Amino acid sequence: MSQQTLATKVGVTRQTIIAIEKAKYSPSLEVAFKISNVFEVPLEEVFSYN
Amino acid sequence: MMNFSYKEKTLIASLIVTLLIFGWYFVGVFSNMTANPGEEPRLSNLIGIVILAAILEGITASFFGKRNEAGLVDERDRLIERVSYRNSYWALCIGVWFILIQLFFESSGIPAISDRFSLQHLIFSSPVYIAHLLLLFFVLSEVIHFSTQLFYYRKGI
Repeated sequence: MSQQTLATKVGVTRQTIIAIEKAKYSPSLEVAFKISNVFEVPLEEVFSYN
Repeated sequence: MMNFSYKEKTLIASLIVTLLIFGWYFVGVFSNMTANPGEEPRLSNLIGIVILAAILEGITASFFGKRNEAGLVDERDRLIERVSYRNSYWALCIGVWFILIQLFFESSGIPAISDRFSLQHLIFSSPVYIAHLLLLFFVLSEVIHFSTQLFYYRKGI
């Protein structure tokens, strides 16, 4: 899945997806749940706290 | 090679326009003020320069805005906007307090205080200069607003 597709499904910009991937931005719970819903996996499989 | 998003390009363009237009204007006004203390800058020039900067910023924003993912603003944009407005608010507060304290010393009537802290011969000879000084701090806060947004877009928040 492309960054743009994910961004459109979640309702954020592609730049925000890039920032999340690079750990430059911690998304809100709402966006985090939307991302995990898109991939149909639990939240903890997508995100982890370091 | 650094890649900039359209949002970052818009911010850079706004920053450059603000620095060039107001930098050129304020250097002219304040250097003339020290060279010819009796000669006041015209208030119409001040209004003209504000209108010119607003038009140029509008043109650059619409130029880059058309390419900015249909103008979508998400939670990260709003967070960066909030944080940068908070930073520029403090810069503006410092400027306003600086002018208020100077005015207080001006009107204190105590020679030791007013002689030491007064900028009367430089700035407060007329309300036009106070208006220019207020605009200077306003522009500085705008520059901080653009710069901090750019910083958070590049470095993360």
